[in-house]
Amino acid sequence: MKKQYTYPFTAIVGQEQMKLALVLNSINPTLSGVLIRGEKGTAKSTAVRALADILPEIDVVGGIPFNLSPDEDSDIIKECFEVSGEVLSEERERLSVEKRKVRVVELPVGATEDRVVGTLDLEHALKAGEKRIEPGLLASAHRGILYVDEVNLLDDHVVDVLLDSAAMGVNTIEREGVSFAHPSRFTLVGTMNPEEGELRPQLLDRFGLCVQIDGIRDAEERVMVMERRFLFEENPEAFCRRWADESEKLVEKIDMARRLYPSVSVSRENLLAIANYCLEVGVDGHRGDIIIMKTAKTLAAYDGRTEVGRDDIDKAAMFALPHRIRRQPLQDIVMDVGSMLKNKTSNLES
Amino acid sequence: MHTLLYPFAAVIGQEHLKHALLLNAVNPRVGGVVVRGEKGTAKSTTVRALGELLQEKISGAPGGENRSLVVTLPLNATEDMVAGGIDFQCTMREGCRVFQPGLLAKADKGILYVDEVNLLDDHIVDIVLDAASSGENRVEREGISFSHPASFLLVGTMNPEEGELRPQLLDRFGLCVEVTAENDAAERVELMLRREQFDENRKGFIAFYRKENDRIAGKVRAARELLSAVRMPEHLRRFISELCRENNVAGHRADLVIEQAARANAAYKGRIVVEVDDITDVASLALAHRRRDAQPPPPPEEPESQPESESQKNRNPEERDEQSSSSEPEQFQETGEESRSDERSPENESEKNEGKRERQSDSREDETEESHGDASISEQVFDIGSSFKVRSISSPKDRVVRRGSGKRSRSRVSQKQGRYTKSTMRRGNNDIALDATLRAAAPFQRERENHNGMAVVLHEQDIREKIREKRLGNLLIFVVDASGSMGARGRMAASKGAIMSLLIDAYQKRDKLAMVSFRKNEAVVNLPVTSSVELAAKLLREMPVGGRTPFSAGLVKGYEIAHNHLMKEPEARPMVILVTDGKANKALGERKPLEEAYELSKKIAAEERIRFLVVDTEEPGLVNFGLARKFAVMLQAEYFKIDDLQADTLLNIVKDATS
Repeated sequence: MKKQYTYPFTAIVGQEQMKLALVLNSINPTLSGVLIRGEKGTAKSTAVRALADILPEIDVVGGIPFNLSPDEDSDIIKECFEVSGEVLSEERERLSVEKRKVRVVELPVGATEDRVVGTLDLEHALKAGEKRIEPGLLASAHRGILYVDEVNLLDDHVVDVLLDSAAMGVNTIEREGVSFAHPSRFTLVGTMNPEEGELRPQLLDRFGLCVQIDGIRDAEERVMVMERRFLFEENPEAFCRRWADESEKLVEKIDMARRLYPSVSVSRENLLAIANYCLEVGVDGHRGDIIIMKTAKTLAAYDGRTEVGRDDIDKAAMFALPHRIRRQPLQDIVMDVGSMLKNKTSNLES
Repeated sequence: MHTLLYPFAAVIGQEHLKHALLLNAVNPRVGGVVVRGEKGTAKSTTVRALGELLQEKISGAPGGENRSLVVTLPLNATEDMVAGGIDFQCTMREGCRVFQPGLLAKADKGILYVDEVNLLDDHIVDIVLDAASSGENRVEREGISFSHPASFLLVGTMNPEEGELRPQLLDRFGLCVEVTAENDAAERVELMLRREQFDENRKGFIAFYRKENDRIAGKVRAARELLSAVRMPEHLRRFISELCRENNVAGHRADLVIEQAARANAAYKGRIVVEVDDITDVASLALAHRRRDAQPPPPPEEPESQPESESQKNRNPEERDEQSSSSEPEQFQETGEESRSDERSPENESEKNEGKRERQSDSREDETEESHGDASISEQVFDIGSSFKVRSISSPKDRVVRRGSGKRSRSRVSQKQGRYTKSTMRRGNNDIALDATLRAAAPFQRERENHNGMAVVLHEQDIREKIREKRLGNLLIFVVDASGSMGARGRMAASKGAIMSLLIDAYQKRDKLAMVSFRKNEAVVNLPVTSSVELAAKLLREMPVGGRTPFSAGLVKGYEIAHNHLMKEPEARPMVILVTDGKANKALGERKPLEEAYELSKKIAAEERIRFLVVDTEEPGLVNFGLARKFAVMLQAEYFKIDDLQADTLLNIVKDATS
């Protein structure tokens, strides 16, 4: 089969906010995802798909489709083997470990619930008369990225399932004669056009970061978009090769940031500043605080620093707060946290 | 399955929640907890942590050592997995029906945990409730008749923004805890730090808190042993009933729950005699969701716990800011009282009595419905209607509207979409439920001749089909008269208030909306069919008023939208809500405006799939034209005057019509 080329991440013109949010998530998966709000045709999907190329490699347990880490609890691994109908040799050493890139798994809007959570393996049940599980998308997305285009149009009952497993990091199957649970921790990336309806608050909160994107206004840049797209379509291979260097650089930078992240520290003063932001702006719950801190740390690491500065926090708040600020019922989401923050900051400093 | 969970001891704040959970751990007869609160307030984290805490230490419970005490009921569970059914693999091998226990069996003597309990499907709720109240799960399905003990604690979490729980279900939970975010900056910092530590090194973090966790678990274990020895002095029993009476609690469950919880509280503190403090400690947890009066509870010597009264749950976000979770109980109470008197003092008296009566009859209905058992379950569509609190239309942003409206209208769907909930023998659409089919075929496998090399031989009579349910939003089409006559005396403001209330409700039911306004010479589709309630609200705010009344045009536009929608979704039941005074003075054609409009109304009424609702905005005065009423008759529509338009009446009608 001919290799499918994806448009390189680094070749995307503009949309810096979105690119940064995605990069931050690939550095630190505990940021738990990005919600991209914006109109059609603004490279949302292109960026998410391209992300796959710059994601790191991970170790997975081979032979089963659950993307388990070899460090996972041995009971879980055993159970997963059992339901897949495979036999696991007694010694842990013989567990085959494969290296694989972190995956971007796409959840189509029309997906049925059984495909998402997993279901009874029809063929096996009929042929062998035995129960076996056919894992769903949530199994494939474990330790990867779950991408939902038009997330606001997702069926309500599929959203319920997503909420369930996003909250616990576990997908519990209790249906069609199958009772089973497997780990499913994924970075949730969703795109939506707000004109077609808002997200449910509970789901909204599950996205760590939120970015708003618009079409590019600058004529020069728009020309550049067309040029690059044209070049890519004409000869994808050459185009990707041309951008290989850039991609390589980004991968290295991400890798470095990932290693640096554990040693990044936040001063108590800055933590207090975060808490005060959230209190003053008015945020539901605590996820906002936690996400701001994590984002700020990731930003510092990406920048090669080990100390979180004030700028990191301001920037992090722009990503983490817009969809969390408490609103009147039916009020629009305010994307301009910046102005709000500036007021707050001046208040704090004075 | 064992995962590394955030330790119970490391949860910061949320003292009420932890308290309620521990009381239940000590004494299962307390009857479970429902945790209400905004997102991101460690609701789920704490409950799961409790399971971990109990699992580690109090595994002496019968039923095996390593069995997890917390059984999660996922929202998408199918009926056979909850109640139990045939195990087809074993049944095939054995040739006789082998029962496979469901979740209820697994949860026996443990905790049944439902995240987002307000979103759980109705018929699953019924099964769970049935078992919870009787302590036994009776299975009569798929040719098996079986029953097993199922006494479990029901723990549910919910975010009220997503819709409310049915009062019947709410009452089944012994305690109710309202959680809010921490307001103290220093605590929030601590919280961030701990979370980060946990994410960095889960094992280390858990090990660090093990000692504290063990201490709590040990305390719970000791309390459990002590529990049977705990005595409740007679005069305190009287105090409890007094407390419940003063709070106007429905039924007797509150009394019993308080007694059990107080005993657990005493045992947890290592005492064998219940004291007044024990009761006041727990009373608020038990009364929060049962209290029907606007009165705050009588605080004897008020302890630190003072959770929400029902109407406080519905308070505005601004008020929520002021509230602190555990400190300053005095101030907190005051805020609640203020908001209450602000909101509803005028209607308070009459409403109180009415509401009570309605509630009682309501709950009685629920009970009888339930005792009918499984057979009719999926047909039920629960009507929440009359348990509404009356509210004034002038504050449409208030959250009171949301009470009890948690259920969207559901319907069976014929397409292969929606959630598979149960199976049927009736054939219709080839949507085969494989699991049920296999279960049906399993007992006969030994007798059947095997021709095709498959392990399972299926006969025609084995085939089962899926019954799917889908929440169907309805289409609401607002046709708003924006002519000059509407601008008088705040008529438009009142109308907008009413529409706004409907919009908020529409959001929870995931309804689709469209909005048409007519003024001057034409009717304009302000908002084509959309699910963006936000957009509708915005448009409503900006809608201008003035000019003549092209009534016919508005009617036709509304009808067109409904009709087009029906082409796409023939099963939908769109509803057109006409907000007008009916003074048509601009026609589409050459005829007299009124005549034409009457004629049109009659014609349009012939379409039975579209329902109409007329809201009359005419001001009562010396001369009343009553035109809107005439239109209502011709359209065979429900009719309202805006003055008796309390938001809940309108809402109820829409609910009745759309359910």
